[in-house]
Amino acid sequence: MKPDKTNELIASAIAALPYRRPSAGFSARVMAELAAGAPQAWYAGILKIAGLTLTAWVSALAFVSARVAYANLGEIAALAIQPGGFSRALTFMAARSALLLSKLAAAASFASEMLSAASAWLPAWYEIGFAVLVCSAAIAALSKSARPVRQGI
Amino acid sequence: MAETETELVRRCLEGDNSAFAGILEAYQDRIYSFALRLLKDPVAAEEASQEAFVKAFRGLSSYNSAYHFSSWLFRIAHNACMDALRAGNKTVSLDTEDFPDLPDRSAGVEAKVEDSITSERIEAMLAALPPLYSEVLLLAYKENMGSSEIALVLGAPEGTVKARLFRARELMKVKLYREAGATF
Repeated sequence: MKPDKTNELIASAIAALPYRRPSAGFSARVMAELAAGAPQAWYAGILKIAGLTLTAWVSALAFVSARVAYANLGEIAALAIQPGGFSRALTFMAARSALLLSKLAAAASFASEMLSAASAWLPAWYEIGFAVLVCSAAIAALSKSARPVRQGI
Repeated sequence: MAETETELVRRCLEGDNSAFAGILEAYQDRIYSFALRLLKDPVAAEEASQEAFVKAFRGLSSYNSAYHFSSWLFRIAHNACMDALRAGNKTVSLDTEDFPDLPDRSAGVEAKVEDSITSERIEAMLAALPPLYSEVLLLAYKENMGSSEIALVLGAPEGTVKARLFRARELMKVKLYREAGATF
């Protein structure tokens, strides 16, 4: 028997293999899943925009924090290399952060006052802050539960 | 059948979801059998087939009618099966596979080999092959696809498909000759 003959026999044996049938109700299950429908495109779009917004906020916060650390790097390093300097460096950073926060709070208060003056209906800054926190938590929860649709074809 | 298939796809694209039942009926056995022979588990094969059909339905607008619908559907099924194999921590790599030479064959051994090629034996040997080899054999001989069409299904170069097909046949032959008592 030549190798070609063996190839032919293998090919014909594979071609003769029977097709298997899935269990009863397979078609019904597939059709039911199709009827359930895919997540709406607009829903995925909103999640994406919300996620991007949240990411942008976190990035801005990280950037500001990094900028403070970078601006004071020399002083922090100088403090850190002295005996007991590490705790002093931490204190220094905390003081800088507190100063920055107070400036931010003052800026936010100022912006809030300006906005209040511009439009009397706008809620107070702490109400907006609370709403932002609630929205962020909701977005995070939705993002965890939502499964992205990947075609991958 | 091709005409009907095109018509069914067109109706689906126009929003008639019930037309997909026709596609499902036409392909469910082929896709399920393909998945079953790769995954070797009826439950996993049904899940992969279901996932393939759902993905096909949702991605129908991306189907290019210049190609066979079956190639497109088998490509989705192939992806679903590979995902299932990876999820089950089963390797789909070829790295560990060795390719022994064909044994010396005497006339008596060849006759034994010819007699031993039955559907049951072939089914068992396919199951023992790594999935990347069994799938090229199934696509080539069971689904009657050419190497260019298999390349589309696997998303691999045609040369790779030809090499896999050759090696898959060699592995099958080695198993057949070993069972028939040939010496290496």
